[in-house]
Amino acid sequence: MITVAPKVSNSTSGLKLDLENLMPEQTALEIKNLDLFYGEKQALSNINMKIPKGQVTAFIGPSGCGKSTLLRCINRMNDLVDICRIEGEIQLHGENIYDKKVDVASLRRNVGMVFQRPNPFPKSIYENIVYGLRLQGIKDKRRLDEVVEKSLRSAAIWDEVKDRLHDSAFGLSGGQQQRLVIARSIAIEPEVLLLDEPTSALDPISTLVIEELIGDLKDKFTVVIVTHNMQQAARVSDQTAFMYMGELIEYSDTNTLFTTPAKKKTEDYITGRYG
Amino acid sequence: MNNWFKSGSPWIWLTGGAVSISLISVIGLLALIAWRGLSFFWPSEVVQLEIEKAGIKSTVIGEIYDREQVPTSRILATGVDLGDYKEEFIDRLLVKTGNREFVELDFRWILTTDIKSQSIPQDMAVFERSKNGNFYGYVEKVIENGQAHTSGKIEKLEVLVDRAVSLNDEALDLQNGAIGHINYELERARLKQRAYELDGELTQERIQEYEQFKAEQKDKYDVLEAELFKLRDEAKRDQVIVKDMRGEMVTIPLYQVLDFTFPNNMSFFAKLGQYFVQLGKFVSDDPREANTEGGVFPAIFGTVFMVMLMAVIVTPFGVVAAIYLHEYAAKNAATKMIRIAVINLAGVPSIVYGVFGLGFFVYMLGGSLDQLFYPEALPGPTFGTPGVMWSALTLAILTLPVVIVSTEEGLSRIPSSIRQGSLALGATKFETLWRIIVPMASPAIMTGLILAVARAAGEVAPLMLVGVVKMAPTLPLDGNFPFMHLDRKFMHLGFHIYDVGFQSPNVEAARPLVYATAFLLVSVIIALNITAIGVRNHLREKFKVLEH
Repeated sequence: MITVAPKVSNSTSGLKLDLENLMPEQTALEIKNLDLFYGEKQALSNINMKIPKGQVTAFIGPSGCGKSTLLRCINRMNDLVDICRIEGEIQLHGENIYDKKVDVASLRRNVGMVFQRPNPFPKSIYENIVYGLRLQGIKDKRRLDEVVEKSLRSAAIWDEVKDRLHDSAFGLSGGQQQRLVIARSIAIEPEVLLLDEPTSALDPISTLVIEELIGDLKDKFTVVIVTHNMQQAARVSDQTAFMYMGELIEYSDTNTLFTTPAKKKTEDYITGRYG
Repeated sequence: MNNWFKSGSPWIWLTGGAVSISLISVIGLLALIAWRGLSFFWPSEVVQLEIEKAGIKSTVIGEIYDREQVPTSRILATGVDLGDYKEEFIDRLLVKTGNREFVELDFRWILTTDIKSQSIPQDMAVFERSKNGNFYGYVEKVIENGQAHTSGKIEKLEVLVDRAVSLNDEALDLQNGAIGHINYELERARLKQRAYELDGELTQERIQEYEQFKAEQKDKYDVLEAELFKLRDEAKRDQVIVKDMRGEMVTIPLYQVLDFTFPNNMSFFAKLGQYFVQLGKFVSDDPREANTEGGVFPAIFGTVFMVMLMAVIVTPFGVVAAIYLHEYAAKNAATKMIRIAVINLAGVPSIVYGVFGLGFFVYMLGGSLDQLFYPEALPGPTFGTPGVMWSALTLAILTLPVVIVSTEEGLSRIPSSIRQGSLALGATKFETLWRIIVPMASPAIMTGLILAVARAAGEVAPLMLVGVVKMAPTLPLDGNFPFMHLDRKFMHLGFHIYDVGFQSPNVEAARPLVYATAFLLVSVIIALNITAIGVRNHLREKFKVLEH
């Protein structure tokens, strides 16, 4: 158990959002009637939700409930799975990302993702950060240098690595690698940042650092985080969605969900009766 | 006993034993060829044997190559009279007598019972000649420009041999360099002219131009030829008179002499120096006298050149094929079939590839290339004949499966999290492959290349059909435009071993060369592999995958 004092929720959470009737300009993502099948097996059924802009939204639920699958739908990572079939829509700027016209690569530039385990490339720290920019054809050295410093500062790792930018990224500790990967994702300035259990492979101190970082990130990005750790969801998120067996059971602001859950299943889960 | 069995020790002994036996055989093999091959270059003593056989006295001078015991009965059966010799076995010596033009065979067996006395004369000279092998004898007189010298003859001889050798070298440089260049340019001009003729573009102007060019080159040629003849005449000026084992005076023209030594009068360090000189000559000289003398430089060069060319061809093809199979091909029965077929290709006997290369590359592809691009040279083939490019291509197909299999293995070892990380940053699949996956798989690609090089460098059978020759007059790489001549035939160490060992007119003389060449071939393969392994280790260090 992590003995960290719960972080006091900041500004935006004071102002309760009506998640059902979110205005278009407040909405980052809208998921409509989403069904997902792995072969014959249905993994997500009829998911409907609006994810607000500039806030941290957490998906919680027991293992195998489909929270990671839902997250991976948002940047179409599930395309990599051959037997995966998706019905329904996810709208970004009012456009369905599953539309045939959509270029997956440019979608993923707008929706970045950080994975469970740190996955730096076998390159230097510097090259890891500029990878996404180089893909876009940016070669201007000054511009790259600026972005590297800015991203590393945003990911709260600049002071630790500024003297060894050209060393291998593998020389960093696990927590540093994960922050490096976050810096790599925000270097290309996505609108939405997806975090898939970003601290599950890290020690408590690194976890604390990353949690603090998430709080800072929402000023610039919409953050969606999947976590199996309820305390973490309570600490870092503004909205929380509870999922169970591929269905969205309850979705409300974090305080409400953890203090006065509307559904019995949610209450059972957060009080530790299963999961 | 039962406990001992249960403890697992027998397995350890068994597996350890297997490793030891493998190691011992490899080391034994290398040690044998290294010893036999490398000891050949050591300047051995030249003995003078006084022989009396059936009442006839004679003198034999030479190096003792071998000694063996044979049953006396066998010797008697050949009709040799051994007198009152009663032992069961009899010793005999294999002596290299040299002086090839005066004896029937320059290697002969001598029974120890025939030897009356044996001595090692200090002033025995060994002449290494460009024709007829070594000559053994005593230096009697040195003739410089028709004038005989008897005092200070050795010092004189040294100076004169050096002079003749450098004149010969100069003549050879001239012949292969400037004169060869003129011939090459003339041939190119002729082909160009012929091409115009075939295209119907041969104008009066062009004919004139050609005639003028020809005349110019002819003038240059005449000047160089005169120079060449002058050098050769100069080299022929001096002679040395040597008393051979028959007691006769033999005149050896110095332009045939490459080197001379007094091995019986050498200190250990002088011998060591001579040893390295001989070794150096072996790896840097052209072969002489049907490959039984001289060096093997063209064969080393041909082997390395062909293998590198093969590596350049096989790597991109193999890597691209493996990427398609692993990354893009649907995972179904057809892909599986293709994969099995690729693996089985590695089991096809190499001579089959040779036949395929001859039929497909040389005759079909090469023939078509000639008709399309080199019609002016027809009916003489350019690419429609075995050559170094077809050899490299044939071996490239032969080694393709190895590269494909190890590249695929490398690709499948890369964690999917790295791929996803790249894709999540907006990279397409191709960008991910090009920037992340292929560099990370490069150590595995190098492993495939190492295996391919090891296999290709030792392969001889297919090459005999698609490009290797016993004696290639020119290297596939020289100073004449376009410098790399992929249509040329080449020499190869593996084929050289076969040729020297089994096709040689002088088996005894060739045997040490077989070992030396075999050792060299192994060294070349090891050198190529160590280079590749060095590169691979560097890449491994650079792209080592996360250890979780």
